[in-house]
Amino acid sequence: MIEKVSAWFEERMGWKPIWKALALRNIPKVNWLYTLGSATLLVTVNQILTGILLTIYYVPSPQDAYNSVAFITNEITAGWLIRGLHHWGASAMVVLAGLHMLRVVFHGAYKFPREITWFTGLGLLAVTMAFGFTGYLLPWDQKAYWATTVGTRMLEVTPVIGDWLLRIARGGEELSAVTLTRFYGTHVWVLPSVLLILLGIHMFLVVRIGISAPPTAEEAAEEPDVEVEA
Amino acid sequence: MSRRTFLSRATASIVGGIGALMGIPTVAYLISPAKARGGLGVEAIPLGPISKVPIGEPTLFKATIERKTGWVTQAEELAFYVSTDDGRNFTAMSNVCTHLGCRVRWVDDEEEFFCPCHNAVFSKTGTVVSGPPPRALDQYELSVEDGQLFVVGKIEA
Repeated sequence: MIEKVSAWFEERMGWKPIWKALALRNIPKVNWLYTLGSATLLVTVNQILTGILLTIYYVPSPQDAYNSVAFITNEITAGWLIRGLHHWGASAMVVLAGLHMLRVVFHGAYKFPREITWFTGLGLLAVTMAFGFTGYLLPWDQKAYWATTVGTRMLEVTPVIGDWLLRIARGGEELSAVTLTRFYGTHVWVLPSVLLILLGIHMFLVVRIGISAPPTAEEAAEEPDVEVEA
Repeated sequence: MSRRTFLSRATASIVGGIGALMGIPTVAYLISPAKARGGLGVEAIPLGPISKVPIGEPTLFKATIERKTGWVTQAEELAFYVSTDDGRNFTAMSNVCTHLGCRVRWVDDEEEFFCPCHNAVFSKTGTVVSGPPPRALDQYELSVEDGQLFVVGKIEA
């Protein structure tokens, strides 16, 4: 049955080579630390799906934001679950992306020819943090309000243009309805667009040039100018 | 079973499991508001004094109730036609056309309710005379206390 269906699609779409390139590609013998990237990707997909679901009920206005979040959490079936997954997923995404980066650093996997993978990865980490910061305001409760007050105030200490940056971030002098909508717009349109572009390049390169094997002492010893105590 | 087959199937099962674990709550989440079926939302809706209802002529009463939709509580205006044949027994019916929800009005000369949207005509008692409506106008249960009319619930046909 599955074979028949897949053959039907294969005749019409010719997707087998793509499947082979994506799923059946060769990888070096690696350890569990090499699953951190996949784990980050899984959480990212979770964030995208639950985020889309939250927009079904969420309204980014000072009158409605808090109440709509409370409505999702307390009255909608499984709303606590969807919101919880998005909330905890955000933390998990930051932690996993950070650990994934550390693994790459410790294994020297950012080196030639993977510089572009590395720099898009750094961009993705920045985007992840920006997601966290803009998303934090959206429930519009006391914690969110004051955290964003403090967070945006940090921009103010930038030399020369600090005051200007603060007002750009807040959309004015104070935290207001304008701040909420621009954070929302950034969170659901700007950042996802940047994320998908960077992630596209990142994943393309992972498939295209493959991932690096864990470095070994022998490998390092082959380098003429490096001394290794082994 | 080969190692490859086993791992493929195990992967497929885990992915399927996660899909179900996420998919079922997602569907429940999306259809959740549809579960709420609107009653009156309140115990009784006060309409007004029975003295306002002339014998043999349906009279429109408007009432405002507070209804919570999602996280917003709003004033909603409802309207009922109240009729009486003897000044003692009263019937109330909705002014919402059962076809597509337009408002019907009582045409005194013709002794019938008329809906302007698709030319539906209902009799004095709310039954369909002509036009597209699938059923008679919705009837509501009334109670009278100290000469005041209250709508207390919908009468299920």
